Amino acid sequence: MIEVVNLTKAYKKGTAVDHINFYIEPGEIVGLLGPNGAGKSTTIAMLSTLIPPTDGDVLLQQKSVLKDPSSLRKVLGVVPQEIALYGDLTAKENLNFFGNLYKMPKTQLKNRVEVVLQQIGLEQESKKLVKHYSGGMKRRLNIGVALLHEPQYLIMDEPTVGIDPQSRNHILETVKKLNEHSNTAIIYTSHYMEEVEYLCDRIYIMDQGRIIASGTKEEIKAILSSENTIVVKVENYSNDFMNDLLKQPFLSNINSSEGEVAFTVAKGMNFLPTLFSLCEHHRVLLKSFQVEEPTLEDVFLHLTGRALRN
Amino acid sequence: MFLALIQKQIKLLLRSPSELLILLVMPIGLIFILSYALGPLMEGDTEISKVEIALVQHGNQEEQVEAFIQMAKDFFPITDELKGQITGMLPVKLLEEQIMENEELKEFVHITKVSESKIDETRNEKEFSAIIEIPENFTFDFLSYQFLNGEKPSFSVYLNEGEQITASIVQTIIDDFQHQYTLNKVLSENGLLSQGMIVPTPEISSTIKTIQSQGEITSKIYYTFSMAVMFILFIAGTIASQSFLEKDTHIFDRILLARIHPITYLSSIIVSTVILAMLQTMILFTFAYFIFDITFNHFDLYLLLTFLLAMVIGGIAAVLSSLNYRYNSASASNVFSNALVAILALLGGSFFNISSLSPGMAKIGMWTPNGAALDGYLKLAQQVSLSDLLPNITNLAILLIALIVLAFLLFPKRGGLE
Ligand SMILES: Nc1ncnc2c1ncn2[C@@H]1O[C@H](COP(=O)(O)OP(=O)(O)OP(=O)(O)O)[C@@H](O)[C@H]1O
Ligand SMILES: [Mg+2]
Repeated sequence: MIEVVNLTKAYKKGTAVDHINFYIEPGEIVGLLGPNGAGKSTTIAMLSTLIPPTDGDVLLQQKSVLKDPSSLRKVLGVVPQEIALYGDLTAKENLNFFGNLYKMPKTQLKNRVEVVLQQIGLEQESKKLVKHYSGGMKRRLNIGVALLHEPQYLIMDEPTVGIDPQSRNHILETVKKLNEHSNTAIIYTSHYMEEVEYLCDRIYIMDQGRIIASGTKEEIKAILSSENTIVVKVENYSNDFMNDLLKQPFLSNINSSEGEVAFTVAKGMNFLPTLFSLCEHHRVLLKSFQVEEPTLEDVFLHLTGRALRN
Repeated sequence: MFLALIQKQIKLLLRSPSELLILLVMPIGLIFILSYALGPLMEGDTEISKVEIALVQHGNQEEQVEAFIQMAKDFFPITDELKGQITGMLPVKLLEEQIMENEELKEFVHITKVSESKIDETRNEKEFSAIIEIPENFTFDFLSYQFLNGEKPSFSVYLNEGEQITASIVQTIIDDFQHQYTLNKVLSENGLLSQGMIVPTPEISSTIKTIQSQGEITSKIYYTFSMAVMFILFIAGTIASQSFLEKDTHIFDRILLARIHPITYLSSIIVSTVILAMLQTMILFTFAYFIFDITFNHFDLYLLLTFLLAMVIGGIAAVLSSLNYRYNSASASNVFSNALVAILALLGGSFFNISSLSPGMAKIGMWTPNGAALDGYLKLAQQVSLSDLLPNITNLAILLIALIVLAFLLFPKRGGLE
């Protein structure tokens, strides 16, 4: 098990990570969800012993790794947020280079390179220079390099940022399979809540350097169990209508875009008469009406008053 | 693992055409341009290919001859034949003839007669390799010495100490002249002197031949070596900026995570730079060998000097990498490649022989890696031995040690990740 205890990183400009605590057990997939600048990458850099924390500790099997990072590095694979590859080397050369850094024996390395190329679906293109790869292919190789030495724990920092949906699906499947087949524990960082929702057993939600919620998907969504999200579609939308809606005390987190209004209400609250009379008063035509399950996005909105992505 | 780091570095460099252009194509192009376009200029008036001698004569030769004859009349009869002999063996004329009428010497040496009034000016100027100053009554004294057993006269020779090669040529000429002049004396004492024997050319030409085989520095040789030592510097900047790219793209994170110690990483930078620098120099020298017919006798000494220079370049690459990592920017290697290389090249004599400007300049030049190596290569081109290379070797070794120590001191803990 890896644990972080009161992990903190203070920079001159401010505190990037503020006394956070979390853990990951072997074989789990844990999500670290947070908007840009939440402190996810800083957390990962401290967790993987690359930068020293201002305060707090990182424990592997209850032993601090700050003085002796080697024991953790041995069992750790890290997929950085950046494409950390040599563009002027081929995929195979990149894999061989990093494999050699891990002092893997020749035949073992050869096998692992084949296996990894297959896992990331780049067998056909393994002899192409990486600089000629598409963004998605680079992302996949970026992951592959971290898998070579068969780490027990894999940390992935936004591995799907800026790529096409196909590559994204491929990566999500790879991660899932890796966890199922090799029992690799994975810390999956993202600001896409669908990904985290799809992959992770447990989730930590991070904002402004702090963990603001944690638990299983169900537990986190239960934060909103007392509320429902309602989405209505209207015609003849007007600002007056919106202003009147905002004045209603039982509605909160009102979001609107042209013709669509979303808000949350307490469960069991009968708000329909009010909504209908407002529509009539402003001559707004109600077209559809939907009660939605809360998403992690909603939870984030509820907790911070801001959207996860903008 | 260490091997992988080095292989990677070599592959990366060989695969970047723009770097290869700077490291190989530019120096070859410049050797061509400089030795053909600037070559004639250089051969025309610099100390390396032509020896400039100033001849300053005090007093009037004819008047002295006249005075001598007036005096000698009292001791023995002066026949017309003897008069002819006397005017035929005037020492200054003899020296001039020795140099100017000898085909091989003419190519090497140029004599300028300088009037008495300008002697101080001449001495302060550096354009002459040697100044021969003939004193007031030299001719008169010389004739008295020859015919009347008078005092042996002497003249002064000032050699420009900054120019060893030319100074040694002048020395040879003077020795030869003195030999002639003693010979004349012996011959005349034995009554064997006759006009036909005054200038025995064979001996002179044989002396000059030995000078020539010592190795003449042509502009091709000069620019081959000066460009090689200048462009080898760029490797340090290139490697250092590539290594910073590894930090910038987080590849260095991966290297650390693979439990590679920063010292190992920095050492790999040094070793791969040494290999690449050697490779570059070998390619340039091979090219010079086939295209410019430059020969490399004492190959072992060339190799030694190149290896030392390459090591120093490795040290520079390491220092620049450390600075880049420390300040988290590629500015150290950029400043080096864009400005410092040019300054070092200037001081080290890659553009022109700056050391001839003053001994101080020569000293500074010897403390640049390229200057020390260039000086060494030029010595080697003139067939010197290991001991002549000692100052160059010492300077390079000191630079090497200083740079390596500095690099390891400057490299930040954890590579400066924060
Ligand atoms: N080396 C540093 N020096 C100063 N401030 C830093 C440094 N690294 C990160 N920060 C600051 O710390 C905060 C957290 O950054 P971090 O990169 O950890 O966020 P993140 O959650 O990974 O965001 P993103 O989704 O954009 O990757 C940001 O405000 C950032 O500006
Ligand atoms: Mg990040």
